[in-house]
Amino acid sequence: MIKELCVEMILILSLCAVGQSVEPIFPYKYNVEILPNDLKVITIPMESNGIVAYYSVTRAGSRDEWEPGHSGFAHLFEHMMFRGTEKYPGPMYDKIMTGLGADANAYTTDDYTCYHLNFVAEDLEKVIEMESDRFINLKYNEPEFKTETGAVYGEFLKGRVSPWYVIFEKLYDTAFDKHTYKHTTIGFEADVKAMPTMYKYSQSFFKRYYRPENVVLLIVGQIETVPTLELVRKYYGNWKPGYEAPQITPEPPQTAERTAEVSYPGKSLPILLVAYKSDVYDPGNRRYVAALLLEQLAFGENSDLYKRLVIKEQKVEFIASNFSRNRDPKLNEIYAMVKSETDIDYVRDQILMSLEQFKTEPVDESRLNDLKKNLKYRFLMDLDTPDNVAGNLANYIAITGGIETVDQLFSEIMNITSTDIQQAAQFYCVPEKRTVVILRGVE
Amino acid sequence: MKTKSALIIFWGLMSIVCLSNCNSKIDESRCVLLPVNDDPTISFRIYFKVGSQDDPAGKEGLAYLTAHMLTEAATQTNSYDEIIAKLFPLAAGYEASVSAEMTVISGRVHKDNLSTYYPLFADAILKPAFNEDDLSRLKSNILNYLENVLKYASDEDLGKAVLYNEIFAGTGYGHLTEGSIGSIKAITVKDVQEFYKKMYNRQNVIIGLGGGYDYATLESLQKDLHKLTAGKVNAGVKAVPYEIQGLKITLVQKNANATAMSLGFPINLTRDNPEWYALAVANSWFGEHRNSSSHLYQVIREARGLNYGDYSYIENFPGGGRRQFPPVNVARHQQLFEIWIRPVPNDTRHFVLRATMRELRNFVDNGISEEQFDLTRDFLRKYIFHYAPTTMMRLGYAIDDQFYGIPGSHLENFRAALDTMTVADVNEAIRKYLQYDNLQIVIVSNEAEKLRDELLNNSPSPIRYATPKPKEVLEDDKQLENYPLDIKPENVKIVDVQDLFF
Repeated sequence: MIKELCVEMILILSLCAVGQSVEPIFPYKYNVEILPNDLKVITIPMESNGIVAYYSVTRAGSRDEWEPGHSGFAHLFEHMMFRGTEKYPGPMYDKIMTGLGADANAYTTDDYTCYHLNFVAEDLEKVIEMESDRFINLKYNEPEFKTETGAVYGEFLKGRVSPWYVIFEKLYDTAFDKHTYKHTTIGFEADVKAMPTMYKYSQSFFKRYYRPENVVLLIVGQIETVPTLELVRKYYGNWKPGYEAPQITPEPPQTAERTAEVSYPGKSLPILLVAYKSDVYDPGNRRYVAALLLEQLAFGENSDLYKRLVIKEQKVEFIASNFSRNRDPKLNEIYAMVKSETDIDYVRDQILMSLEQFKTEPVDESRLNDLKKNLKYRFLMDLDTPDNVAGNLANYIAITGGIETVDQLFSEIMNITSTDIQQAAQFYCVPEKRTVVILRGVE
Repeated sequence: MKTKSALIIFWGLMSIVCLSNCNSKIDESRCVLLPVNDDPTISFRIYFKVGSQDDPAGKEGLAYLTAHMLTEAATQTNSYDEIIAKLFPLAAGYEASVSAEMTVISGRVHKDNLSTYYPLFADAILKPAFNEDDLSRLKSNILNYLENVLKYASDEDLGKAVLYNEIFAGTGYGHLTEGSIGSIKAITVKDVQEFYKKMYNRQNVIIGLGGGYDYATLESLQKDLHKLTAGKVNAGVKAVPYEIQGLKITLVQKNANATAMSLGFPINLTRDNPEWYALAVANSWFGEHRNSSSHLYQVIREARGLNYGDYSYIENFPGGGRRQFPPVNVARHQQLFEIWIRPVPNDTRHFVLRATMRELRNFVDNGISEEQFDLTRDFLRKYIFHYAPTTMMRLGYAIDDQFYGIPGSHLENFRAALDTMTVADVNEAIRKYLQYDNLQIVIVSNEAEKLRDELLNNSPSPIRYATPKPKEVLEDDKQLENYPLDIKPENVKIVDVQDLFF
């Protein structure tokens, strides 16, 4: 069974030498079906030793928490969705899922919440029945709701011990004034603490966002598309549309650099975070795509800055980055853990100087080609199991609502030139888009 | 005459040298192979029989540092930044994993890129440069982990680290793989060189190779790794932990906004013993890792909402917060039973400890029911399909099979055992291997002295919920809030977080 999968991968991977026209990059055949209720279903059959990955990509994340005082509800729903329905109350749901031996979990990001299961193919119908039931008929009472909010607050406390949580919370709060990206995914502490009193609001949240138009099903692995779709129609067909879009206030353009400092109630080396306002994810926006390459060229492990600060001078424990791939314009983030308090300014200056260099000097073509080759091989080598395929696609699906964007993105990546990189640096990496946050431990 | 004799001896020596160096290779009995002919990638796992239990006294962390000096540092051929630059376009790399008894250097590459990758991979193992600069960088990383990250950024990992150090104190397992602050500072390039020379010898290596490799790649590995110095097989020593008497409590005092707990005791059972499978079923019911099917999870999180999860283990399970399935290549000959209570609000810590101990007692005294057994067995039959989805993971399991001397495959044996096992087998394994009288308990919390007094006095620990709870939960709580724990003053110690890992 593994054999067929691998043959397919060889065929595709052998095409991906840099410089060739290589569309499409995505190696598997897939089918996209939209049900009459607007539920989109993407099926990707692949040989996988009888395993199926089933992802319900729900396009409601912390971004969608637009009403003041209600941050954290998208993540709370990640919990509530395991509380059962009238047909399958919580304990029965748990018992059935246990019997399936499924690897079932969920996660929440700023743009979406993803419910994912891996299971053996013979259980496909049962999984579709159970998953559809909880998305259509989720039911929980107020005491159950309150109990789950306790677990969420426990998760908040667990996360709060990390300096990374502390600094990113400060970054978003500083960089954004109006947009819901101002809060982290788990939410403001006051809101999380107040959750037990918001049972009714939670029901409204579910009714507005957990609708077929706002969910994409992604089913990957040992499946056949036609019978799978028949099952999906059977169990999801009566799910009524009714999605209400959030009223998110766009973030006004930033006009000047922002800075902040934050204390961490423990011991930590200083952390420096430099972030720039970005654009919405758009593979058709050449400048945006060029910025994704700039990230790797300037701050990746193979960058001159990494080699200087981490390997040669050893001024930082590490430097890393995360450039925005979001539904709305978010941040291109660069962060470093600095070994000595006295080097914070130096490291900051080095980051800024590196970006200045990318603005003025075209990047070497061979480095750009190495990066393109790296991105392709990295993407394709990760597509070796149904869960890895689905996991790698989920973010793209959540942001754009579909899978086509993957080929568009990689096609555009292959076309990026050193001039594009320069222009991206010149456009995004300017002081008026910048927020700098420094964290220091207090112990 | 003299010259001629000398020449004959010289040519004789040459041929011997050629026989051993030109034609010799690692024997196939020490190759763990998992060919997947059409797999476009090749997976390497090179296993050395060395681990942190081999660290010399005062140089704890040496095994860890040495392995990382192979994979995150220069070779005699390339500087570290040159290695990064060469690996980068391949989207490939290699890494070191070190545990108490195992070190594995692993990497994966696409076939297209093998010719560039292989020399880099082989050089990492065969021609490390052991530069002072690289050592200084890696020591700094470890010290940051020990001084800052472990003590302050993850109370759960902190609790587990202290639990292992306490349970295995005085044995080769009784220190962190990463060593201690003092020992890491003391390690020199010379220490690394000598450790490498002694432990990374050709008798001590097992080749793991999987995926779409060809015979030539296997043969290259066999020949190249034979160039390692001659030496002895590291037989390894099974750690013999001291006998825990009663409930031993270590309270880690820190300014914590929630309380993390870890509990455990050594068990004389490893997966090469057929009874392991029965105990694995029992443990899955009691505390399956990151599953709501865990009984402890049901009691503490599901019914009461006191934390984020509660699990138990019958094998070492490092990195539990970051993985869903058991890790590979952390095998050890001495295992432990471990309970992981994720952080709870400080004012519920005594109550949660009582609940945990009561549930453990009920589990040991009563075993599991036929219905619970059936459900857990059904769960595991399918769940273990997810343990090794990739060639790399399957290769890891195959190497662990070699470590334990398991005929066939552990995962296949596990499935087969489920078919013949009875609930009586499971309950017998519980009775034989588990108990609740003699445990090490580690609690990371604030106001440690107050907690110590409450524990010693068996003070009532009534619990007040912010949210309403069903009547049966509240009635059960009344039992739990006075559930007695027999803790002797001499068995309780308080350590300040600042004083750990020196």
